[in-house]
Amino acid sequence: MESTLNILANASGEIAGRSLEEWNSAYVKVENYFHALRIRNKPLLGQLVLRVLERAQRRAPDELNRSATEIAAEEMDRLVTGWFAEVLQASPAGTDQMLSTRGRLALLLADMPGKWQDQFLRPGPWPEEFVAAMRESFFRAGPDFQLSKMAPRPLDLGPITTLTNFGKLPYVRMALAWASYALLLVAVFWLTHGGFEQVKARLLDVFDWFRQND
Amino acid sequence: MTDVPHIMVLPSRLRRGWRLFLFYSSAVLLTGMVSLLFADLLWRTGWSSSRSVLLGLFIILFLLTAIGCMHGVYGLFIRLLGTRRCITGLKPFKEQNIDGVSTAIIFPVFNEDSVRVLEGLRATYESLQRAGQLDRFDFFILSDSTNPDRWIEEERRWSELVCDLDALGKIYYRRRLFNEARKSGNVRDFLNTWGKRYRYFVCCDADSVMRGETLVDLVKLMEAHPTVGLIQTVPALVNAESLFGRIQQFANRLYAPVFIAGLNYWALDFGNYWGHNAIIRTDPFMQYCDLPQLPGRKPFGGQILSHDFVEAALMLREHWQVWLAYDLEGSYEEAPQSLIDNAQRERRWCQGNLQHTLVLFAKGLRGVSRMHLILGIFGYVASPLWLAFMLTFNWIYCYQKYTYLSDISVPSFNPYLKNWSGTEHAFLIFVICMVVIMLPKLLSLIDLARDWPRRKEFGGLLNACFGVVGETIFSTLHAPLLMLWHTRFVLTNIAGISVSWTTQRRAADGTDWLYAVQRHWGHMLIGVVWGWFTWKLDPGLFWWFTPVVAGMVLSVPVSVLTSRRSLGARAKTLGLFLTPEETRPPLELISLRSRMKIHDLTTDDAPRIRIHAGLAVAVLDPYVNAVHVSLLREKQLNPVYAEHFKRLGAGTPAVRDLGEKLLAGGPEKLSPSERLVVLADQAVMVWLHQQAWLRPEEKLAPWWKAMIREFSRE
Repeated sequence: MESTLNILANASGEIAGRSLEEWNSAYVKVENYFHALRIRNKPLLGQLVLRVLERAQRRAPDELNRSATEIAAEEMDRLVTGWFAEVLQASPAGTDQMLSTRGRLALLLADMPGKWQDQFLRPGPWPEEFVAAMRESFFRAGPDFQLSKMAPRPLDLGPITTLTNFGKLPYVRMALAWASYALLLVAVFWLTHGGFEQVKARLLDVFDWFRQND
Repeated sequence: MTDVPHIMVLPSRLRRGWRLFLFYSSAVLLTGMVSLLFADLLWRTGWSSSRSVLLGLFIILFLLTAIGCMHGVYGLFIRLLGTRRCITGLKPFKEQNIDGVSTAIIFPVFNEDSVRVLEGLRATYESLQRAGQLDRFDFFILSDSTNPDRWIEEERRWSELVCDLDALGKIYYRRRLFNEARKSGNVRDFLNTWGKRYRYFVCCDADSVMRGETLVDLVKLMEAHPTVGLIQTVPALVNAESLFGRIQQFANRLYAPVFIAGLNYWALDFGNYWGHNAIIRTDPFMQYCDLPQLPGRKPFGGQILSHDFVEAALMLREHWQVWLAYDLEGSYEEAPQSLIDNAQRERRWCQGNLQHTLVLFAKGLRGVSRMHLILGIFGYVASPLWLAFMLTFNWIYCYQKYTYLSDISVPSFNPYLKNWSGTEHAFLIFVICMVVIMLPKLLSLIDLARDWPRRKEFGGLLNACFGVVGETIFSTLHAPLLMLWHTRFVLTNIAGISVSWTTQRRAADGTDWLYAVQRHWGHMLIGVVWGWFTWKLDPGLFWWFTPVVAGMVLSVPVSVLTSRRSLGARAKTLGLFLTPEETRPPLELISLRSRMKIHDLTTDDAPRIRIHAGLAVAVLDPYVNAVHVSLLREKQLNPVYAEHFKRLGAGTPAVRDLGEKLLAGGPEKLSPSERLVVLADQAVMVWLHQQAWLRPEEKLAPWWKAMIREFSRE
């Protein structure tokens, strides 16, 4: 916490060439991320955020075209990934694209939020149990593959297969169209040769019956 | 699969042929006698072609009812006299050694509530742990979820569960990138990837819970009977809260034991598979049960939808036995909580069962398998037949009236009925039909009456009797609705029309009134018109049709009120529709219910149900992102999935561009398929996580700013 004494604002109300408001935004951004990592201990959370901001303030005077939030977020990423590399004994941060993912997964599986909050971002040496939990954490969504290939055996449906392909038979649609036409002709013939009167008489009978019973 | 023993398949010596002959002959005999009486009635009123149609329909419908009744009659006798002809009675199995036997318990899921799925899995896992047999089982959540929010939620809940139970390497999660062939394809994918590691697998549904001892018993039974390919348990319906759910649950728990004992009487080792809560021998299943595409187009051709019946038939075709372990307790599932939910499920099943019409013709299938398929098909086809029966009857009645033909022209051929009027004759047939329909319920009550501990579990015999009366009234009102729904499903399926259902709008305590009107207005209209028509025809006839018409006219209030949890709770307080799992809940269900209750009370799901919440969590949450990326990474090792990633376009610069678009414009700028592609690209997901936290807010879409703020408040 000693270094945090250096971040007091100067006479113009700025820190490292940025307004207090800007550093406040940076603080919130970093705090949000640590919060997302389930760092729930308030003093620890504050301490970690200030550590990141201190690193950002060191860089800030040289990068005046970038916002304090941008620099702080970058520093937070570097700090966290660097710490993962140390704990997991992985290749230096920046060379392994998956290091951050591996590290976060290890934190989850080692139950950092529940058991080891005090060790998060702390320089080594770390308790052996914590190191073992972090390094031995690996994720398995399934056991080793034992690949094979099921092959469907066709069902012999006998003559019904022909029926299912009826529509695909040559000229079937044309024959169906002709049959419909023939049916239409039969209907026209029937209606014009007494059928119409029959239908009419039936309907009248029904109406009469309903009228009588009303 | 190195640990599979050499299996010699032995022919069955269970005298199944006699049993089949006896059972179905009883149904046919009964149908024949009653059909003769009915034909006589029709003949007395003057034969006509429409009466021939009516008789044909009556014979089919009565035969189906008689088969149901015989299940009850034979089932009761079996339960009274006892039998060794069941899988648990063939030989002692409790001492069977199952050391070194590996079994997978799989949970195929598709956009289901992941909290419920995983709590069900936890209950099963802990039960096995208590049974001291956990190390012989592995659990798999096999996701086919297409909704990104559901997908991420599943991963998140799974990783939490694994950490909570310290079950890394025991409970696995896998999501397919393409859900080809639906559930059967999902299971096939599991078998192709890991099947050879396991001698058996137990297929569960998303809402299944199984007792540890039951699972162990199933494995022991399989080990004791090397010619058995599949054992299906009879899942008890549990956890219902609405009145509808509790009535269904009560009917299932009271009637099923007798009915299934009857089913087992004729099926024996040629049983059936219902798709879940069953143990399957992996090797023959992989060898013989991969489903082919059916020839022709939909609705009959194409992919087999109701795979379970067909898989059992294929297993039987290859001389493997399939048994129903109907006396094994500790197998549970849940049922729909409202009429409309139930109809939605029926619609899916209807399409699958109709497709079995084509499978019926497959060469080499066992006769019993064809019988299972036919009964499944008629479960739905019976409805349009019933409707056709009633319409034909109305037509005959109407024709008789307006042509002024007399009712009775000749006396009955039967000397005992000679002096009976037509109405008395018809009433006799009606009474016989009612007895045949109601007898299984009565037999179930008799079965309950002789079993004191079970009687107590149902809240006493009197309560059970009241329950049966209540259930009968409800099913009388429900049956006409099912008839109309099934008829619609059958006809639309045959016509190849897909019926779309909007997502159900729920009130706090069940189905919303407006939604019920939307779903039931057609039923009400038919009921009113039909009622008016029969009243006009003959007020006497109207009263005969009252139960049918009442179900339709009252469909909205019945649908809404029976979906109410408050009414379900009230009935429970009154001791109505009690089931053994309610009066003496097993530990697995207590654990499940209490965890679900705690979840309901403690979880504020408001931020999670925000649209695209899954995407936000997958990108912003450091742990969920890590889990998600690791799962994608591991999947790449499987050549089949690697090919799927390639098909999706994962790993190409185009996906990075989509990621950039996502950050700058928010998820709405991407189509649903583009969002899925982004979620499936591990490199882009790592990059998105980094960018979402590193970029200054002004370079992010307002949606991200809102999500980060929300995230920080949690």
